[in-house]
Amino acid sequence: MLTAVVLAALLAGVWLAAAYRENGSRAILLPDQVMTLFPAPKPLAAFAFKDHEDRVFDLSRLKGKWSFLFFGYTHCPDICPTTLATLARAHENIAKSTAGAKDVQFVFISVDPNRDTASKLRQYVTYFDTTFLGVTGGDAQLGNLAGQLGAAYQVAVTRGMENYPVYHTAAVFLVDPRARYHAVFAPPLDAEGISRRFQVLRELEGPKAT
Amino acid sequence: MRWRHPVFAALMSALFALAATAEEAGISVRDAWVRETPPGMTMTAGYMVLQNKTSRPQVLVAASSSAFETVMIHRTVARQGMTGMEHSPQVELPPNASLLFAPGGYHLMLLNPKRTLRAGDRVEIRLEFRGDLVLLVACEVRK
Repeated sequence: MLTAVVLAALLAGVWLAAAYRENGSRAILLPDQVMTLFPAPKPLAAFAFKDHEDRVFDLSRLKGKWSFLFFGYTHCPDICPTTLATLARAHENIAKSTAGAKDVQFVFISVDPNRDTASKLRQYVTYFDTTFLGVTGGDAQLGNLAGQLGAAYQVAVTRGMENYPVYHTAAVFLVDPRARYHAVFAPPLDAEGISRRFQVLRELEGPKAT
Repeated sequence: MRWRHPVFAALMSALFALAATAEEAGISVRDAWVRETPPGMTMTAGYMVLQNKTSRPQVLVAASSSAFETVMIHRTVARQGMTGMEHSPQVELPPNASLLFAPGGYHLMLLNPKRTLRAGDRVEIRLEFRGDLVLLVACEVRK
């Protein structure tokens, strides 16, 4: 029944997600405007980035963990630091929960590899949270993963222009421990909104997802 | 308090006089803050609540600060599922209304800080309105 409601809402193009209710052991996710939950999570195909330690960051690095993915760039004074600070607080909340945050990772994907070197990314993401990962790759690889997630971005690299414009989605994508695109959080984001819904989702999916 | 150098003293009184003009004209600012700069970064943003207590529209036309090389009025806008920044050459404050400079919307884009800013520091930003009104805003640096 719930699945039917969720599916109907999705088909109707309604932003879904989650007011939640906990009844002792029972928790359910209901439609709301913060999180869109996909009834049939979409398995992701191979991609290849490098992380801020210069290690390969590919599909295998998404397996066995819930991954929060955010696309941005470091020369971004407003949305990116705001979102990373929000995600850092969401991470704190999740870490304080009974299930903890051992099975969770936060990945900042730079769409501006031209300026965002590994060392720049390391300095930047670890400032917000020492466990955050910064990754990036070439245009083809960025387009590959962004395309799989429906994440829009546009970089207008301009010769001789230091602060060229970059446009990117402000959504946060949630990939489950089987490397399937499972849910998306729509802006404006708040830490409690994210962590509460995630904890219910993880509890519901726990045994199935891993 | 006495200013030692007469020229400096004159300059300061002139500045305060100008600032007072804007206050008297009925524009005020509260909750002004600047985001601490992440290490290695040369830009950050400033936020505040601007209030126009007059019955006329007021127009913010420029901003500057001795703490940054460049200050620009920007707005984060959404288009085609993406957000990006746009330069706003001027911002109109409607009569008897507040305008929010907040994450995800209007903000002051602060480029090339002259020193590293840490949470708890204070920086001053100068706002210029049409009609030669100037407002000096003390901003707290926050993480």
